[in-house]
Amino acid sequence: MLFGAIPIVFTTALAFFNADFQTYYEFITNHQLSVLTNAFAGLDNFRELFKDSYFWLALRNTFSIWLISTVPQLIIAFGLASLLANARLRASTFWRTALMIPNITSVLAVAIVFQQLFGRDFGIFNVLLHYVGHKPIEWVAGTIPSHFAIATMINWRWLGYNSLIFLAAILAIPKELYESAALDGASRWQTVRYVTIPQMKNTITFMLVMGTIGGLGLFVEPLTYGGGFDGGANSQFLTMTLYLYKQAFMNQRLGYGAAIGVGITLVVMIISAINFMITRSIAGEESK
Amino acid sequence: MKLGIRIRTGLAVAVATGLAVAGAGVGAQAASNVTLTVWSYGNVFEPKIVDMYRKAHPDVTIKITKMNLDDEHNKLLYALPSRAVPDVAAVEMAYMGQFRQPMIAAQFTNLNTLGANKIAGDYLPFRWAQGTGLNGAQIGLPTDVGGLAVAYRTDLFKKAGFPTKREEVTALWPTWEKFITVGKQFQNKVPGVGFMDSTGTLFAAVLNQGTEKYYDAKSRAAIYRTNPTVKRAFDIAAKAGCTFMRNNKCAGSIGTKINQFSPDWGAAMNKGAFAAVLAPAWMLDYIKQQAPGTKGKWDIAAVPGGGGNMGGSMLTIPKKAKNAKAAWDFISWYLAPAQQLKTFQLYGLFPTTYKMYSQPSIKNYKDPFFNNAPVGAIYSSSAMKLKPIYAGAKDRLIDSTFGQALARITQGTQTKSCGSFPAQTSGAAWCQALQDIQHNVGVLCCTLLRPLRAVWRNSHRLHHSSCIFQR
Repeated sequence: MLFGAIPIVFTTALAFFNADFQTYYEFITNHQLSVLTNAFAGLDNFRELFKDSYFWLALRNTFSIWLISTVPQLIIAFGLASLLANARLRASTFWRTALMIPNITSVLAVAIVFQQLFGRDFGIFNVLLHYVGHKPIEWVAGTIPSHFAIATMINWRWLGYNSLIFLAAILAIPKELYESAALDGASRWQTVRYVTIPQMKNTITFMLVMGTIGGLGLFVEPLTYGGGFDGGANSQFLTMTLYLYKQAFMNQRLGYGAAIGVGITLVVMIISAINFMITRSIAGEESK
Repeated sequence: MKLGIRIRTGLAVAVATGLAVAGAGVGAQAASNVTLTVWSYGNVFEPKIVDMYRKAHPDVTIKITKMNLDDEHNKLLYALPSRAVPDVAAVEMAYMGQFRQPMIAAQFTNLNTLGANKIAGDYLPFRWAQGTGLNGAQIGLPTDVGGLAVAYRTDLFKKAGFPTKREEVTALWPTWEKFITVGKQFQNKVPGVGFMDSTGTLFAAVLNQGTEKYYDAKSRAAIYRTNPTVKRAFDIAAKAGCTFMRNNKCAGSIGTKINQFSPDWGAAMNKGAFAAVLAPAWMLDYIKQQAPGTKGKWDIAAVPGGGGNMGGSMLTIPKKAKNAKAAWDFISWYLAPAQQLKTFQLYGLFPTTYKMYSQPSIKNYKDPFFNNAPVGAIYSSSAMKLKPIYAGAKDRLIDSTFGQALARITQGTQTKSCGSFPAQTSGAAWCQALQDIQHNVGVLCCTLLRPLRAVWRNSHRLHHSSCIFQR
């Protein structure tokens, strides 16, 4: 708890300073507190953040990629989990292991492969499109296409993992509930709606919270996909954490970077609260 | 789902995938056993050369950690004042301006104290000067020099009805403007093939032929906005990147839309999808590795304006390095004329020890892959024509912002209008680039309200030239 708290407190404090590496160098070599008092900036960083069009652009991009990756991912994962939960499925251990393989593959390797697949001139998707007479899609230069490509990378990597968590939750539901639902003459859809989903309430909440934290902290995929910290020529896939990295470490504005970090935290908290309310209203009423 | 550890993973990825090459400590002698830690990126340390050192010095273990370019430099910047520094750190030219700032340069070992001043005369003067800190200390030993030439495909030039002999090809483009005209002619004659791979590379090529880039050499103030060389380099690259407009979008370019070093780039090189590449010496090795099947189809001509340079690195020793003496022995050996010659022969990196340019092993060196072009003579004359360019603190960030702007022109994604320029024009891209640079670079230090003594400190800093964040 303490180890977790120190960086959080430190980062939050840093956001109130106009700290760059000069501040850092002066402080570490001279050990003078005046370095810090000189660098105190009050709310300047937050004021600037509020007016910074790149932060809002990054927020929009992050939301867009997050939506295209999370929503289909959770639905497909739920479907896959239901298939895997089927008792008549053969070689179920093999399927479960196979689903996990993308997750343990190195992110860099994944990025190289996906860059190849989504190449503008020689990537397989555009080559196939060419055969059906479609003009090439700008997988990197375009805004929505690049979001889609990055989301695909994320989906490929995390689909199996999510399916297995769903699977564990489905297998934990008592058989008696299904039996009594069958006795009551519930249809297949009604069984899912009134037995499976309410029983998985906690799992769904967990997935949504984790999904929000991960999705809004999106970093490695856009970094490796575009080959840099800029998020594309038009910043079309600049995400919030990428912008944090750019300001704090490429531009050496540590204080401003910390302010961006605080901004990201606030956004995640707001979204998590909304998620929590949604999941409670979906599953809450029946399970009372 | 992906958990909160993502950011950290991202930064660690480069480290984790880096090769930690552990040396074999044969015949360990307890007294002189030394382990050198080295931070690097890309191909700064070539394995076969390092192995030669290991064989000759069994008591020295060399541990090289390879990282992503930006990560390595950022990590180094914050490690320098602490004790967690490596014994040797490689610094790329794009970052040298930052590490030369007096406050940071003071955190490096002055190599002159280890004997660097004795070997200074061996190295190209302009490359040596790039390794001198603004505090006067020699903080870096220069690795290879890029030089610059144009590698072109003779078969595709023939198809366009162009001459194919290197002297005649060089005569086609005495100026950059002529280079663009030739490119347009080529594309009219050979449709579907790009004249060059990426027009964005022209920017650095033209810029590096000047004497100043983004910062004034004397006052050290930012001049990216007013320096005519920057605007000229941008305009040439923009004109090459967008030769004509249709429906308010860029519809023609003398280059492909492929980014260098992307998977598409390698594929295009193999398929002959472009006819020319701006090639520093290290690029030749790239071409050989990426497209071995194109052997004999290439030749090399001079760039417009004659000289040029791209890339190159410095080897440094942090002040708090644990084994500074052993580190110096290693890097001064690694960059000594004999080893640089070996590196050139094995890996194509062009030596900075210019006195051997007149030796037959370099002067007469011809490369069969490039139609027996006299590679040695071409790159040595290119390297000798260069003058030092003042490198500033934020070169890397400014480079990449102009690169973004040029890519927007070529891709047709300059969707914002800017100033009096409508969207999709190169004027708007330039204007937005200036705004973006100002947004990122020009905020701290001299502008925000601070207590009075801070104002004094800042003006003090200004005159003592450590103020590097100026509008």
